[in-house]
Amino acid sequence: MGGYARFLWPAYGVTALAVVLNIIWARGLLRRAKSEARRRIAMQGETR
Amino acid sequence: MTWTWFHRLGSPPYIYRLAGILTPWFGWLAGVLLVGALYDGLVIAPPDYQQGDGFRIMYVHVPTAWLSLMIYTWMAVAAAVGLIWRIKVAHAVAAACAPIGASFTAVALLTGMLFGKPMWGTYWVWDPRLTSELLLLFLYLGYMGLRSSFDDLQRADRASAVLAIVGVVNVPIVHFSVVWWNSLHQGSSLSLTGKDTIATPMLIPLLLSMLGFTLYFVAVLLVRLRGEVLRRERAASWVAEVVAT
Repeated sequence: MGGYARFLWPAYGVTALAVVLNIIWARGLLRRAKSEARRRIAMQGETR
Repeated sequence: MTWTWFHRLGSPPYIYRLAGILTPWFGWLAGVLLVGALYDGLVIAPPDYQQGDGFRIMYVHVPTAWLSLMIYTWMAVAAAVGLIWRIKVAHAVAAACAPIGASFTAVALLTGMLFGKPMWGTYWVWDPRLTSELLLLFLYLGYMGLRSSFDDLQRADRASAVLAIVGVVNVPIVHFSVVWWNSLHQGSSLSLTGKDTIATPMLIPLLLSMLGFTLYFVAVLLVRLRGEVLRRERAASWVAEVVAT
């Protein structure tokens, strides 16, 4: 990369990391929200 | 003109299901575009006559900087819609935008520093563009911090919406900072009204990358939005149906 590799690859690396982390965080938020909703429904079922 | 479609977007179960249907379409299209942009930008595009291969940082720096501004604008518009028309889904959109926007603002700053070192000889200068972009990151962090400081969701929505709306004044400042003040940062390479200052073989991967990152943002936003909607509506009867499947 014409002497620019030590700047270029970290730039692509940090971007790829953000892309992957955002997917993981978003899926984690949805998974937690679903399990919280399921727990709440289960608790309501027990109290009836 | 009928506004039925707009009113339906304010319905949490409708938006939850719609987001679930649209996410894979945006996600896969973004993936294809980003792989294409990566190949085109790193392999096919010729080196710049002045910046050599270092200019290829542009293919991640410009799209992430674009996302940082676009996401904040989306967030402020959603917050305003939520505040004015009291639409809960709009507040959920704004809340879902913030972490994505903050992360890509941080990436835009980091890739800009890695671009700046070989081109300017320094990682950082207190230049209008860099300083206003850093302020944008603080606005995102402030928005998220303010939201998390309230236990009551409605108060969190209202207070954070005001901050998002006030902070949007920084978006044109970031964009026009290179025009309004003397700046080390180069001017815009892309223009909707004038002539682009970039050669076509270098422009194509940039446009592919910008479109790919935009679609990627929408895909991630839709996943976060489903989580936000579910979290807010957990006591609603429709939630029992969707989490059971």
